[in-house]
Amino acid sequence: MSRTARILLGAGRKQLAVVRIALRQQWAYKADFLLRSCFLLLILYVLGQLYGAAYEGDYERAIGGFTLRQIVWYLVFTEAITMAGPPVGIRIEEEVKSGDIAVRLTRPLSYVGYHYGSYLGEGALRFFVLLLAGGIVAWLSVGLPTLDYGLLAYLPLAMLGLTLSFLMTAAVGLCAFWVEETRGLEFVVQKLQFTAGGLLIPINLMPEWLQRVCAWLPFQAALYLPARLGVRFDGEEMLRACSLQFAWIAALSLLVAFIFRRGVGKLHVNGG
Amino acid sequence: MSGTLRFLLASWKVNLASALEYRLSFFLLAGMMFVNNTIWLFFWYLFFARFPVVSGWEIGDVMLLWAVSAGGFGWASVLFGNFPRIATIVSSGQLDVYLSQPKPVLLNMLTSRMSVTGAGDFAFGLIVFLWAGDLTPRGCLLFACALLLAGVLFIGVMAIAGSLAFWIGNAEGIASQVFGGFISLTIYPTGIFRGAAKVILFTVVPAGFIGYMPIGLMREFDPGFAAAAFCAAAIFSACGALLFRVGLARYASGNAMTMRN
Repeated sequence: MSRTARILLGAGRKQLAVVRIALRQQWAYKADFLLRSCFLLLILYVLGQLYGAAYEGDYERAIGGFTLRQIVWYLVFTEAITMAGPPVGIRIEEEVKSGDIAVRLTRPLSYVGYHYGSYLGEGALRFFVLLLAGGIVAWLSVGLPTLDYGLLAYLPLAMLGLTLSFLMTAAVGLCAFWVEETRGLEFVVQKLQFTAGGLLIPINLMPEWLQRVCAWLPFQAALYLPARLGVRFDGEEMLRACSLQFAWIAALSLLVAFIFRRGVGKLHVNGG
Repeated sequence: MSGTLRFLLASWKVNLASALEYRLSFFLLAGMMFVNNTIWLFFWYLFFARFPVVSGWEIGDVMLLWAVSAGGFGWASVLFGNFPRIATIVSSGQLDVYLSQPKPVLLNMLTSRMSVTGAGDFAFGLIVFLWAGDLTPRGCLLFACALLLAGVLFIGVMAIAGSLAFWIGNAEGIASQVFGGFISLTIYPTGIFRGAAKVILFTVVPAGFIGYMPIGLMREFDPGFAAAAFCAAAIFSACGALLFRVGLARYASGNAMTMRN
């Protein structure tokens, strides 16, 4: 085995260990995320009622290519991705502000990689619990979704969506190297995800001009595309969505790496 | 009575001075809440662009709903900023400091904090009303009544949820769920709810009264609804105060050193 392959394998093992630790840690706070899922149930119930009233209870009618059943399942899929993500931006900001980042940097593990592993471990567990809870509400209110490849396609696309959400939040959190207080920036990103990501209303149902704007932003690749393909599968679109997600992941990874390198270069930690 | 009023005025004055000490932070936080609410209105604009009328509600009604809900929540948070934090204060033993002062405990605790983001909510409510509301004296008076009732309902519900901490100890989780859930229910048109959900919204969880105000109070004044909303506000706030008073007799704490905040 070549030296590069050994290094990569070692890094992969460390990453998996972080994911495992985060999963176990999250499991210890079962009550907390069960409460989170209660909130999701309420939101889904309210949104289900809202769209039910908008469609006048008609299950056959399709608006913007979505039937009522598809809309409700779409909301389950977008909410599960959104609510699953741990607050990684705040964690990074606190580590930079308190100087704890110095301890992390001494470890033989990539700093951003550590947070990514931890994000995936926590996020994946929350995601499946939220998906299950939301799925039960949707099933009881509008019935099962169309059983095709959509559900199978949704899971990997959602994981890539979580990765995109991580990269966007991490990029904002790492700005703490310069501005200390990043909550405002994170708030803006969250709200952009809310609208341009299609969290509560599919992008297809938005006005034409906004659809064109959204097409140039990474938010739809994180939420809208996985959820839309989950309820309305199309092989070609799946390939396009995957390519778009990988392209955004590559671009945002470069951005995160750039911000991190520049930030660490100007880091000063006093005392210890 | 006049002593309590003087105390309230002094508390609010101190809170305002303290918030304005960090002027930039004050305007940033209040501005952030304003932006947050504006994005919600943008969602509603998108929604009604696709579905112009939903259960008789139009975009103008939803704007007024947001004016009432955000405005009512805003004034309650500015003047009685601790109302969402009752459970935290009780369960962490921070009540000691209020017990040691010769003022009504609940009132003292509620007024000892001013929510800066609440100021943004209140400003948002007023601006949306100026934009979409009926600006005649009658319309303004009805809006003021709606704000008052909404704020009292918010405080009453949270006083009940927060007082549970006297019985079940760590009620922070439940209280925060009630808080989030109640707010979520007040920002959607009540017309979308049917059957049992509608009954619950006008009884156990009185969010329906806030949600229906743009229609029942402001668009077509319905005396029956106005009387019911007034009674609900009175009952929920009285129950909150009573439950807090009864619970206070069960309160016990360690020797935590705390300060008013």
